[in-house]
Amino acid sequence: MTTVAPPPLRVDRPTSGGGRSGGVAWMAVPALIMFLIFGVVPLLGVLALSFAQWDGIGEIKPAGLDAWQSVLSDPGLPHALWVTFVIMALSWLFQTPLSLLIGVFLAGHERYREWLAVLYFIPLLLSSAALAITFKALLDPNFGLGSGLGVDFLNQDWLGESKLAVGVVVFVVSWQFIPFHSLIYQGGVRQIPRAMYEAAQIDGAGRMRQFFSITLPQLKYTIITSSTLMVVGSLTFFDLIFVLTAGGPGDATRVLALDMYQRGFMAGLMGPASVIAVILVLVGLGLALGLRRLGGRGDESQLEGA
Amino acid sequence: MELSSISRRNFLNLAVGAGAAGALAACGSSGPGTSGGGSGASATYWYLTGAPGEQIRKDTVDRFNKDNSDSKIQGTAYQNDAYKTKIKTAIGAGQAPTIIWGWGGGGLKSYVEAGQVEDLTDWFGQNAAVKDKLFETSFGPATINGKIYAMPAETVAPIVLFYNKEVFQKNGAQPPQSWDDIMNLVTLFNGKGIAPFSLGGQSRWTNMMWMEFLFDRIGGPELFQGVFEGKPNAWSAPGAKEALTKLRQLIDANGFVKGFSSITADSNADQALLYRGKAAMMLHGTWTYGSMANDGGNFVKDGKLGWMNFPPVTGGKGDPSNTVGNPGQYYAISSKATAEQKETAKKFFKDAVLSDAEVKEWVDSGAVPVAKSSQSMLAASKDAEFLNFVYDISTKAKNFGQSWDQALSPTAAEALLDNIAKFFQKSIGPDEFISNMNGTIGK
Amino acid sequence: MTTLTSGARAADARPDLDEAPRRKGRRGTPRNWIGGALGWVWLLVVLVPIYWIVITSFKTQSTYFAENTMVPAKDPTLENYRLVLEAGFVRYFVNSVIITVGAVIPAVAISFMAAYAIVRGSGRRFLRWTNSLFLMGLAIPLQAVIIPVYLIIIKLKMYDTLGAIILPSIAFAIPLSVLVLTNFIRDVPKELFESMRMDGATEWGTLLHLAFPLTRPALVTVTIYHGLTIWNGFLLPLVLIQSPDNRPLPLALWNFQGQYGTNFPAILASVVLTTLPILVMYMVGRRQLLSGLTAGFGK
Repeated sequence: MTTVAPPPLRVDRPTSGGGRSGGVAWMAVPALIMFLIFGVVPLLGVLALSFAQWDGIGEIKPAGLDAWQSVLSDPGLPHALWVTFVIMALSWLFQTPLSLLIGVFLAGHERYREWLAVLYFIPLLLSSAALAITFKALLDPNFGLGSGLGVDFLNQDWLGESKLAVGVVVFVVSWQFIPFHSLIYQGGVRQIPRAMYEAAQIDGAGRMRQFFSITLPQLKYTIITSSTLMVVGSLTFFDLIFVLTAGGPGDATRVLALDMYQRGFMAGLMGPASVIAVILVLVGLGLALGLRRLGGRGDESQLEGA
Repeated sequence: MELSSISRRNFLNLAVGAGAAGALAACGSSGPGTSGGGSGASATYWYLTGAPGEQIRKDTVDRFNKDNSDSKIQGTAYQNDAYKTKIKTAIGAGQAPTIIWGWGGGGLKSYVEAGQVEDLTDWFGQNAAVKDKLFETSFGPATINGKIYAMPAETVAPIVLFYNKEVFQKNGAQPPQSWDDIMNLVTLFNGKGIAPFSLGGQSRWTNMMWMEFLFDRIGGPELFQGVFEGKPNAWSAPGAKEALTKLRQLIDANGFVKGFSSITADSNADQALLYRGKAAMMLHGTWTYGSMANDGGNFVKDGKLGWMNFPPVTGGKGDPSNTVGNPGQYYAISSKATAEQKETAKKFFKDAVLSDAEVKEWVDSGAVPVAKSSQSMLAASKDAEFLNFVYDISTKAKNFGQSWDQALSPTAAEALLDNIAKFFQKSIGPDEFISNMNGTIGK
Repeated sequence: MTTLTSGARAADARPDLDEAPRRKGRRGTPRNWIGGALGWVWLLVVLVPIYWIVITSFKTQSTYFAENTMVPAKDPTLENYRLVLEAGFVRYFVNSVIITVGAVIPAVAISFMAAYAIVRGSGRRFLRWTNSLFLMGLAIPLQAVIIPVYLIIIKLKMYDTLGAIILPSIAFAIPLSVLVLTNFIRDVPKELFESMRMDGATEWGTLLHLAFPLTRPALVTVTIYHGLTIWNGFLLPLVLIQSPDNRPLPLALWNFQGQYGTNFPAILASVVLTTLPILVMYMVGRRQLLSGLTAGFGK
């Protein structure tokens, strides 16, 4: 937390609000109240529920560590963690280099690149549900793209083979978000001072050299921002997977969020579902903090003091 | 979301194609199928969308409302695949409708244990006429701990083996008379590039139907009964392993259409594979007959659809007449409703549910209602041949097993469906399936 | 999603963004062939499914099964669209608008106030603590707290109302909004605030007349970002909405898909129809959005 302390230029005469910062504190209150009610209270609630037994219909009863014991001894948990991690890692690995390169390319100022950027944005407009429905239809092994084109290679059992299904999820996520991250990188590249490149050119550095010695280091914080959005965002791939594969085939794409929904709202095990939810929060916090460490600065990891 | 099997529970004929769309639009799927006034004393009733059931349910409500201007029923139609979770969350939220549409069995039991539904035992005692007009077999899933908690209604839906006669003729094949025949047909059809069996595997309960029949044919009904009663290690009983091994052999031999795990039954894609001749056979509920007649062009009309009971397994204990599926659908009354609403609901059960008019509508739609009065109407139907077959199977079966996921508690059912999906994915084998399922007993 | 103020160029507010001289012929950034090739290839990857969605939505089901799926129909039909509209999509559209507008505007307004307070009153422990709380909130996925949210909504007697979606949506839009907006307000030169104060303006006045105009691009960005997120939200309606009457578009889409099975043309028509309003918005507010986004996140 680096805070910007205002330079005390002069002794303040209390204004109507009662002092230089006394008058503003109340402005944070509405947001705080909303967030407490629907963010913090549920967070405590989910913790409490993880020590309870509730089938979603009857009474909520305290159950001690039952839910924790049943979840932690269930092989489904490490599996869901693993799937979550695999989808997160793969989508990061796939999206980051592509977005970075495309972002650098888009940063040029020719008109056509602007139009590219316009078209690029369209996938972001589709809801995950719409996207999942579309790709489900496209990839239908019997009535989809492959049989329509008569290309047998496209007639894979895309959503019925575990590995392929994970691949499809990663691809659909990338299809939707690479454009978004490209735009973030485009913004980052445009903020790199021209002079740096000009100096490098005078020194005779080639394009590759320039990319690795100027562009990449200068984009450090952009990369961290984009990665944070990707990684924390990947914990929330619920809608997409829910509609696309429902966690299947078997449990090949059952990420934590889906595992929670299935246990809670379908199997009526709200206690164990809350345990999964607590784990989900811990994973999210851990990742966000870890990435912030990487950034090496407090809450201003986003602020490039350009 | 592969909520269990809703569409199979109610002869949903999901309308696919413009022809049916007109019918759908007509029956008000364009919004909630609300009918009846909204006065405070009126009872609420939720049911499922989809032709033909939605229209029939709505007509029944309308008829009742016409006769009872002072105590109306307000009906709302819900999309099938979301309903099961929805009704649970609504009951949990204390906003259950007066009349709760359901499948009986384990789901009903969880409502009973939470004190959410009315005990109707005495009411049936006082209204013997109502009880007597229904199939005996339909009361099983409505009975929890010896008491009746729901009114059996709508239709009986056994699972049967459908096949495409045209595909069979072209390839010189005969309908299977035993499990060995099935395995031979698998080899034959795979050789011809036709999928032996269509299957909407993403829905999970579709896979379960195979397991239900193999367990019954090999070990008899007592095999699953042990699970249902929660006996320790019930899944290890003799017969279970053999049934699972046979099923695994069928999966290994590519008995099911390529990509079956990504096909959902709710989309009726599995039926499309059968009537388009891409698959030769399909094990499915009798409600698919109506939708295949709707969507399959002239497939049903031209007599290309064949049907039979699941064949026996040589040396197995189960009676060949046995069947599995849904002995009926079930209407329960919310205990949270007001006294007037409960009265209205009971009046509705007595006067409107499975009245002659409703029974006729079900028969006309290609289904067999759970009322004894239906038998005389079947002959006059254009689908007489099929309906009589369904009626015979349902009434003559030595044992009519309720679908497993309906019989078990929601928690156990979810674990079962989950393991079945993994089994069909080959990520677990018979032994692992048995040990996993033994671990869920009593939950 | 309707606060796209026209005319105000985002770039104007951030002169450092686009001041690169556009000298034709001599590019400041080196040309990169790899990026260029990738850019075009990915464009294809993006456009092919979109093209397919659009052409398929004008086919009848039998055409779809009978002909090459990548070739437009010879006799395009609007039948699918009629079907979708008859299935009540206008109603679902209105629900989506109510939810989105009802959640985004309050969310951005209170986040803006909070961000202003956090920057201006940065010495106070209460505000520091509040800011830390919001930052932590960034890492809480909505999915993780859906069960208690469901319970709270039941307790508030709001189950199956549009409000049930609006309230949690507001709360979950706050952390990111506050983060982006504080970054922007911090960039406002201190002297400006000082001179406002010297003129005797209240904090409220300063917020309205100084901070608001200067952070407009960021406000547009967070508005659009959350607008999109909430417009497309699926989990909250899935758990909290029950009557068909209260469904927003994504949930309606999903139900529609369950109902229409393999009638892909009809399903894709519903995809087109649910996306169309957003696409129109995007075309209108494109410039704002792109510059705002790159400025908001690409720092």
